[in-house]
Amino acid sequence: IEEPPVVLAPKPLLSGAVPLEAFLATLQKHGISEVKVEETADGHILHLQAEDTLIQLEEDGTHIVCDNNEPLRTTLRDLVLRFLQKL
Amino acid sequence: LIMKENSLKLVSSEQALKELGLNEHQLRFTCRVQLQDPHCDSDTLHRIYKHLKSVLKGYTIQHLPDGTVIVESIVIKVSSSAEDTNTKVLLLSWSYQDEDLGSFLSTLLKKGLPSGLC
Repeated sequence: IEEPPVVLAPKPLLSGAVPLEAFLATLQKHGISEVKVEETADGHILHLQAEDTLIQLEEDGTHIVCDNNEPLRTTLRDLVLRFLQKL
Repeated sequence: LIMKENSLKLVSSEQALKELGLNEHQLRFTCRVQLQDPHCDSDTLHRIYKHLKSVLKGYTIQHLPDGTVIVESIVIKVSSSAEDTNTKVLLLSWSYQDEDLGSFLSTLLKKGLPSGLC
């Protein structure tokens, strides 16, 4: 039986930005090295080729687009969170 | 709750960030979930709506005419795979503030829809 979360713990607000070079180095440390970086008007799009995942990095936002692979998603989430302030 | 000029005031967390001179960083996720469902896209979406209605008591769930299902602030859309119309691709999108529910829904929908939904 699937039990939905009863109480939704409020998450902290995030502030700051994710620096591209430092983030790429962190990905590499976690075994993600095939990354194609594309510059956009507002930041960069990272294509993690082996994982078929996109990460859009902008000054005021990060968007992770991936297949339903919870271990990968939560790893990427935690790597992004390392660079942000939690309030 | 913030202290400014020797007085305390209660403001929204977004407002507090502004008053501290900080920018808010939005972290969002979009997950693709594959589902085997031999119905047309709009029927599949309606079945998802019914399924979520029965599983998630006490949550705000809406089926909007623009072809989306919204659970609280989580957006769900359906499209068919180009090669096989029985394979549906669901897109679930949520922000970090809805992390627990987003993660739960992506795991739930990955298991497929129960039979007996009309």
